[in-house]
Amino acid sequence: MSENLEQSFVTQLQANQNIIHKICRLYTAGEDAHKDLFQEITIQLWKAYPKFRGDSKFSTWTYRVALNTAITLYRKTKRTVSTVEYESHQHFVKDVDYNYEEEEQIKLMYKAVYQLNDIEKALVFMYLEDKDYQEIAETLGISEVNARVKMNRIKGKLKKILNP
Amino acid sequence: MKELDLLKKDWKKNSDSFEQISEKEIYKMIHKKSSSIVKWILIISILEVLFWTISNYFSNIDDFLNNIHHPEIILYMEILMYFNYAVILVFIYFFYKNYKTISTIVSTKLLMSSILRTRKTVQYYVWYNLGMIVVSSILSFFIGYVYNPDMAIVREKLALNGKAMLFSIGALVLLTLLFFGLFWCIYRLLYGTLLRRLYANYKELKKIDF
Repeated sequence: MSENLEQSFVTQLQANQNIIHKICRLYTAGEDAHKDLFQEITIQLWKAYPKFRGDSKFSTWTYRVALNTAITLYRKTKRTVSTVEYESHQHFVKDVDYNYEEEEQIKLMYKAVYQLNDIEKALVFMYLEDKDYQEIAETLGISEVNARVKMNRIKGKLKKILNP
Repeated sequence: MKELDLLKKDWKKNSDSFEQISEKEIYKMIHKKSSSIVKWILIISILEVLFWTISNYFSNIDDFLNNIHHPEIILYMEILMYFNYAVILVFIYFFYKNYKTISTIVSTKLLMSSILRTRKTVQYYVWYNLGMIVVSSILSFFIGYVYNPDMAIVREKLALNGKAMLFSIGALVLLTLLFFGLFWCIYRLLYGTLLRRLYANYKELKKIDF
């Protein structure tokens, strides 16, 4: 029984690992930090797996547990990401450059997102993942209205960071 | 917000660009906690041996033994010492083996049984060391009392006075117990903490294993 459970967990996680990688990209800078967070999230998912009843999709459940782990860990370390660390993160993002100006803007946006706090990052992440407000609200355990308000505030904050 | 849409475009473009992690690596990750604890057990036991070896090197036990003029005692002590080293090396070998198995294991069931085995090995190791402390304290008191020429006068006086004899034996027993207690505390602190964590992992694994 347990062997099967473990096998099914590992197979599903392997197939859905990009979700975790993407969260790591947003919350960490540098390859080591990325790997550490990936591992921590994996451990937390595994611990929570017995409670996963299959009434939601594995991916939806992964979003929730992984984001919560990232948020809690981020709270614990409270690390501020410096520009140097951010640059070292660059090799992670494969960029096929066709538009220099656009690329610059994207870089600045990543930098701006880094300056957001843990919850705000989670919202941006869900937004980037094309989730609707209902799903954002469910995953983060807030109301839909609250999610909308928060997202608007984040947009304002990002604008401020980009054009101080 | 224009920039956010731009970011989203880039985000999607790069969402499959991550180096993929294999199933085997995931197995390793979910067992990682136990393997790092077992690694610490191995490191601490090696450090402990190094500490004793170095402190032996600096102690003046050799001068003391030479002073006694009983070469057979030196021989016995050396035999005891080498025996002790051999046993401890065997234990370290077992710790190393446990570490190797736990860090490469892929099944939870096997992991659970190796955690239990590691706990047993550590417990035996601690009990062996504590036993050795008692044996060596008794031996050193005995040698110090019977063979030490400096003790000749004390010996004669004590032989005449039964009460004083009893009293000094009592004091030595107390001292032995004190040593025992001291080392028991140290071991509890060193290995006990690690074993408790290891056991917590075991219980966690057991929850998954219904």
